[in-house]
Amino acid sequence: MPAPFTVSQLISGSNFEAKFPLSLSLSHGFGVSGGLSLSLSLSLSNLLVVVVSEVPMSAFGTPTAPNPNPNKSFEVAQPPSDSVSSLSFSPKANYLVATSWDNQVRCWEIMHSGAVVGSTPKASISHDQPVLCSTWKDDGTTVFSGGCDKQAKMWPLSGGQPMTVAMHDAPIKEIAWIPEMNLLVTGSWDKTLKYWDTRQSNPVHTQQLPDRCYALTVRHPLMVVGTADRNLIVFNLQNPQTEFKRITSPLKYQTRCVTAFPDQQGFLVGSIEGRVGVHHLDDSQQSKNFTFKCHRDGNEIYSVNSLNFHPVHHTFATAGSDGAFNFWDKDSKQRLKAMARCSQPIPCSTFNNDGSLFAYSSCYDWSKGAENHNPATAKSHIFLHLPQESEVKSKPRNTTGRK
Amino acid sequence: MSFKKEPCRNFQRGHCRFGEACRYLHVTQQQPKSNVFGFGTQTGLSQQKKSNPLGFGTQTGSHQQQKSNPFGFGVQSSSHPKAGTDFVSKQNQSKLFQNTWTRSTSTPTGVAPQKSDNETQAANHKCTDPEACRRQIVEDFESERPLWKLTCYGHSKNAPCDIVGDISYEELRAAAYDDAKHGLNFQSIVERERNLLSSKLVEFDNLLRKPYAVPPGRSSSQTPFSGARPNSFPLTAQNSAPPLVSSFNQLGASQNLGLGISQSSNTFGTNNMPHRSEGTIIEGFLLCTLVGAFALLLMISYGRCI
Repeated sequence: MPAPFTVSQLISGSNFEAKFPLSLSLSHGFGVSGGLSLSLSLSLSNLLVVVVSEVPMSAFGTPTAPNPNPNKSFEVAQPPSDSVSSLSFSPKANYLVATSWDNQVRCWEIMHSGAVVGSTPKASISHDQPVLCSTWKDDGTTVFSGGCDKQAKMWPLSGGQPMTVAMHDAPIKEIAWIPEMNLLVTGSWDKTLKYWDTRQSNPVHTQQLPDRCYALTVRHPLMVVGTADRNLIVFNLQNPQTEFKRITSPLKYQTRCVTAFPDQQGFLVGSIEGRVGVHHLDDSQQSKNFTFKCHRDGNEIYSVNSLNFHPVHHTFATAGSDGAFNFWDKDSKQRLKAMARCSQPIPCSTFNNDGSLFAYSSCYDWSKGAENHNPATAKSHIFLHLPQESEVKSKPRNTTGRK
Repeated sequence: MSFKKEPCRNFQRGHCRFGEACRYLHVTQQQPKSNVFGFGTQTGLSQQKKSNPLGFGTQTGSHQQQKSNPFGFGVQSSSHPKAGTDFVSKQNQSKLFQNTWTRSTSTPTGVAPQKSDNETQAANHKCTDPEACRRQIVEDFESERPLWKLTCYGHSKNAPCDIVGDISYEELRAAAYDDAKHGLNFQSIVERERNLLSSKLVEFDNLLRKPYAVPPGRSSSQTPFSGARPNSFPLTAQNSAPPLVSSFNQLGASQNLGLGISQSSNTFGTNNMPHRSEGTIIEGFLLCTLVGAFALLLMISYGRCI
């Protein structure tokens, strides 16, 4: 009789979809009642299902092992050994950087011609603790990364040692490079935002936030910070010491991600409740604000982990813990394309500089806690999707337009 | 005629039915768009900001000012290769000519925003009808419970949270990894997470049972208990010590939990204090009966007020 926790480890070792019966009980109480005995009995009953579902051809008729790549996206070579926390393309070329919970920051060169995509691992650096965020300098020469070691590192890709350029009192969750100011901004769980000139060890400015920084987006001069407890703070980077506006999120639950409109008229905010809010900053455009539901599967409500605007068409993509990514158009308020669900959640995604590639990672995002993490069998993937015109180009609504 | 000079609001939204015959100007909104400054505001120098026309986030000393840099920010000194002083002077100029990004009631730190939010935001929820709030909460909990439970919650959008104490996926994971590094075994990590979860679920249950015991309390004189209604912003701002994310207990017992609830439950005692010690349901229950008595009192006096 295996000890309880190894049984649950075995269960969690199976893939996402097969955990469904078990996760139903978990989501109801997350093991709150009775604890082990309940989960143990459930685990045992699920063991059979799990074992069976591991085998592709199943005599029971239970679903075959869910496809980790149902969208037939290209898979990046040598993915990280633990979950990916952020993905970032170079603004100048097709170089992809991924930061991971295995303490590494990796860089690949992506070759893309027509429908053929290839990837070559190029280099990597390490931090002492998991890395949470990354960004590129606008000239495409340097990568900044920050994480649980409370530091941000600057990594000149052409050679040269990575250098620590920022420090906080708590893990750095978000990082962005502001070319118009030549500064790096970091947002941390120590409730501050700090601006750094990379040549100096002290921050140029420290901005207090009402709570821990959870999300950040910069499109000069607009910057929006999402913090814990549903605060959203808007900054005008021409006057960064003053909060331009502080609002409470239009969504009812925890803020997960924000991204600014390309024309800086507003921003999108995503939360854990499978909803995205579209918010305009100008008072006269408040009537255009709305929220919409997404990443839901029956009664299961997953979180929206990532929001990205297409650099050319200004439509956007959402990626969620249900393992799906979708393309939307906020102006015509439509969903342009729903992609198939991967077997694991998608914690992060990004477009490349011209929108011809969409990178997303499929790995465990901790949305079901530690018990569903099995380091021995967990696999992280980074996929590259080639967005088709029909998926990312806005379409007029069929109903009568205004003018 | 003065209004001829004004742009037509409907046209800018894309649907003016008067067309050419319209009394207002049909200009496309290029100006404000390309010039982000035009952003919903005024013109000229109506600066309510407490700063001087040079604007640029300046001095008055009390700001976090590390260097004695008259421009206050980011534009250091000659060592800056590009943009340095040019940037500043350009900004100063623009501040003089265009009122960039000022709002009519802007104050830099958190206290006032709630008032200005009242004016600027469309959906203002004042919690005048506790029954409607309660129904909203019940409905939310039945149909829209997200899978992630360690979250804050607000029953009305744009209103402050009813339940505070957010924990994100990454925070939980970072704490777990940290614990694992310090030698904690997998089982105890899972146990800790479960405890966090159960105390959070109790909070949600309490809200469900006593939903209008925690009015977000925006505008004045809604109920006689207006004393117990500080904004949540200054409260969380008071929480100056950043919570370390290195151990679960600190996460679970973060000051946010206590502070956030106390915003509105000063009269009711602190509902959730017991949960700091990974609360037992029983203690919570006893407190709930006490709270129930207060709630009754509230209802009576509320009824009287109406």
